[in-house]
Amino acid sequence: MGYEDISQELTRYIDTIKEDVVTGKISLLELELNPIFKQLKESLNIYNIFNYSQTYEKACILLSQKFEELKNLLNHLDNDEIFMQFLKSKPSDVEIEQILGNCWRKAFHLESISPEFMFWSNQRFSKDHPFIEKIEHVEKEQIGGSFLLEIPRQKFTEKMMDFYNSIKNKLPCKFDELFDGIQDQVKVYEFFVYILHLLQVGLLKYQKTTTIIYE
Amino acid sequence: MNEISILMQLLGRRVSLYEFGATEDELLRYLNIKGKNKEGYLKKLIIDLSSYIKPLGYHIKFNPLNSYWYLSINSEISDMFKTNPFEGHPSLAATLFCTLTCCLKNRGYTQIQEIIKLRKKKNLSEDLKELSKKGYILIDYENNEIRLTPLIGYQLDLNQLILNLSLKKSEMDSKII
Repeated sequence: MGYEDISQELTRYIDTIKEDVVTGKISLLELELNPIFKQLKESLNIYNIFNYSQTYEKACILLSQKFEELKNLLNHLDNDEIFMQFLKSKPSDVEIEQILGNCWRKAFHLESISPEFMFWSNQRFSKDHPFIEKIEHVEKEQIGGSFLLEIPRQKFTEKMMDFYNSIKNKLPCKFDELFDGIQDQVKVYEFFVYILHLLQVGLLKYQKTTTIIYE
Repeated sequence: MNEISILMQLLGRRVSLYEFGATEDELLRYLNIKGKNKEGYLKKLIIDLSSYIKPLGYHIKFNPLNSYWYLSINSEISDMFKTNPFEGHPSLAATLFCTLTCCLKNRGYTQIQEIIKLRKKKNLSEDLKELSKKGYILIDYENNEIRLTPLIGYQLDLNQLILNLSLKKSEMDSKII
């Protein structure tokens, strides 16, 4: 065990806290005092005990102030007036939202394995689904001579993904905006087909009521 | 499967739109805990599980509104992932706050008229419908009554809210002085 003397350091820290409390920068109720007492306890030994008495006293004063604040808080708890008093100050909706802001906690629930979810998914998914055709690119065969059927240079999926990458920055936007500036009706049709496929594979989503396309 | 895994499953289940977890009776029944010290044994299991899952950012909490034990995500994680359901909807948050104020005065229910009076708005039907849709309140149109559901007990940290209100009050008091 070392004989480290951190009493002065702790005293300075306590003084800073006191200043911050007085200036309203922090609230004692939000401050953990345990670390101070823990450090005091861990660094105290028979060789530095005399230096620690003042630090200990200051820490105790801080603790008693914290109790005082807690007492005041508890005094407020005995009635619902604290809510009414706040509303009497005519706060705006935004102020009320801010007061509630950091009070929300998330309850944890295992929806994915709950019996209710299993029942729901059984009803939802235990149906015969039509077989979904997989779109595959036709391999070009070397047949020699000329052949009338033209096969595009890029595969459909590649072209679709190129289109997806080109519109990604625009999203979310209105459906019509995706065709802004395109005069060629064949191109419009081509892009429309890509959008349909992107919607099907889930890369894009469409909100019917607002006609907004988003990711 | 052991007691802890069953307990975890029961505390993490969703019973309805506004109920999660399990009551003490349910926990005792599912875990088949019997005998004179059954409550003590259950509490020990809860404390053990709580300390085990704490590093993962979870707590076991008790909702006094419906006496359910449930799993909650700790405040730091909740803040990090912005769990505020009313972010960007101040009007809805204000209506909920007024509803909460009225219901606290009246053991969990209140008249719609009282909320309208406190909120100083002519029509709150849209806000109230939305709060009902989110599962925070139940509307009894016949009697013009609003009742809080237990959901608020799961999601709203009342201690933190009272602390915020007290801090706001002292801030206002110091301004007056």
